[in-house]
Amino acid sequence: MIDIRDARCTFRHTSGRLVEALRGVSVTIDDGEFVCLVGRSGHGKSTLLRALAGLNPLSSGAIAFDGNTVTGPSPERGMVFQEDTVFPWMRVHDNVAFGLRSLGTRESETEKLVSEWLSAVKLTGFAHSWPKELSGGMRKRVAIATVFATGAKTLLMDEPFGSLDYVTRITLHSLLLDLWARTNRTIVFVTHDIEEALILGDRILVMSEGQIVDDIRVDLKRPRDEEVRASTRAVTVTKSIIRNLGLAGGVDETPEPKSSDLR
Amino acid sequence: MTTLPARILCYVRARWISILSIVILVTIWEIAGHLSPKSPLRESPLVPPLEMIFGRSLLGMSDYWRIDMWAPMPVVGGAQTYLGAFLALAYHSALTIFRLASGLVLGAVIGTLLGLAISWSPFLRKLSGAPLHLLRMFPLLAMIPLFQFWFGANNLSAIVFVAYGVGVVYFVATINAASNVQGKYIDYAHTLGASQLRIYLRVVFPAILPELFSSIMLTLGLAWSAVIGAEYVGVNSGIGRMIIWAEFFSATGRMMLVTILLIVYAGASYLVCRRVAAHVLRWMPSATRAEVVDHSIEAELPMEDQPVMVNR
Repeated sequence: MIDIRDARCTFRHTSGRLVEALRGVSVTIDDGEFVCLVGRSGHGKSTLLRALAGLNPLSSGAIAFDGNTVTGPSPERGMVFQEDTVFPWMRVHDNVAFGLRSLGTRESETEKLVSEWLSAVKLTGFAHSWPKELSGGMRKRVAIATVFATGAKTLLMDEPFGSLDYVTRITLHSLLLDLWARTNRTIVFVTHDIEEALILGDRILVMSEGQIVDDIRVDLKRPRDEEVRASTRAVTVTKSIIRNLGLAGGVDETPEPKSSDLR
Repeated sequence: MTTLPARILCYVRARWISILSIVILVTIWEIAGHLSPKSPLRESPLVPPLEMIFGRSLLGMSDYWRIDMWAPMPVVGGAQTYLGAFLALAYHSALTIFRLASGLVLGAVIGTLLGLAISWSPFLRKLSGAPLHLLRMFPLLAMIPLFQFWFGANNLSAIVFVAYGVGVVYFVATINAASNVQGKYIDYAHTLGASQLRIYLRVVFPAILPELFSSIMLTLGLAWSAVIGAEYVGVNSGIGRMIIWAEFFSATGRMMLVTILLIVYAGASYLVCRRVAAHVLRWMPSATRAEVVDHSIEAELPMEDQPVMVNR
């Protein structure tokens, strides 16, 4: 279980002004939940996710996984980044094996797991390819396989499919949901795409100005095809998200603090 | 599979302007050689023509064969022979190349390791900032006498001197490159449970290889200058020393012959490094790798090496 208590994160922007990226976030996420964090750019989604990963320290408050307070990164909390993070100097096989070898897994076990997870993400024939030889969608699958292979109990995904085309995104949604159903891991998925959140999440946390302004249980049946997404309940959820994002009365542009500014 | 003549023809067609410019340069040299005045000290033109360089001057190289086996030694009254000339050139070339390669490897290893060690700690990085700038300011060739005083006029002195010259460049390049490694890779490795040491070995080091290979390309010229400089001033063997011996007697043909040899060696070492870089950096997209290694490298890569985008 993930327990976030009054998480606050303030940092100095490169312009010199203080930015309060998280303003007292409190929420509990149960094991096995697929939670989508939805919000506009610069409203604290990625900051919260990086704090969950232990990559950004909190200014105050606490985050605990199964009662253990987060003090830094841990393989228990795997992260799939928005950017392409697959190591370009390692072949696909070595990329997937990287986490396992870092954890000291026996080589025979590593080989078995790499083979299994490459098969799970449908990249069996590409074990010896270089990342440069793969498409963007395939590289995302490598990153997903790598994180799942390490056995992380929680997967933190920061707009992982944001740069991909529509068809690839849909394919990867199905793949991710399939893996989630098979492994029962907890997934926290950041997106600014309401439709993506509706397809994936069974809970949607709406973030605005560094706070969680709405917590919506998405009790829609799966798979959430166009028909399901057009249902009255889905439309109600969508409207609620839009209202909480402050879009109903027009868009208020706020400058976007970059997570890199936190380092 | 194309035949060799077809490949040569293709090569000439692709580079005819470069080949033409070299032919023009050689022709001008040859004309100047026949028109130039003789050196006052010996019957050597100030600009030696090619037939002299590859005739009399080449034969004269046997004067530098100082081992009493395989060929006569002119220095003790033996006849000048082409075998002696080739042996002398091979012997002194081997010594120079040994000093260069040893110094280059030593400098690269020590410079890179020190650079990585300094990059490990922000405190050490700040501490080393000012001394680093000082080190870079030292005029390399002016330090040859000091190195010979410290290590003697021998192989060790030349090797350490080359290692120092290139090591400083590697040291600075490694620190710069390590600080340029994208944070996303470090974060990703941390979340996968990698230790700091593993991140250095498996993430930071491979990530800085492109910049290190750029440094290798840059330091090759520097290394050649350093080793020849060391041989000019003190070490009593090697092709740098051959030029000095030739200079004593105004033997311009011999000086030019050794210079041509140096150009060939430097070019060959550059080609070897390009090949090694192309292999080690084969994970990089071709265009980026060409920027690192050389823009012309892509033209020489076999088609199999070109990246292939695999369909989903």
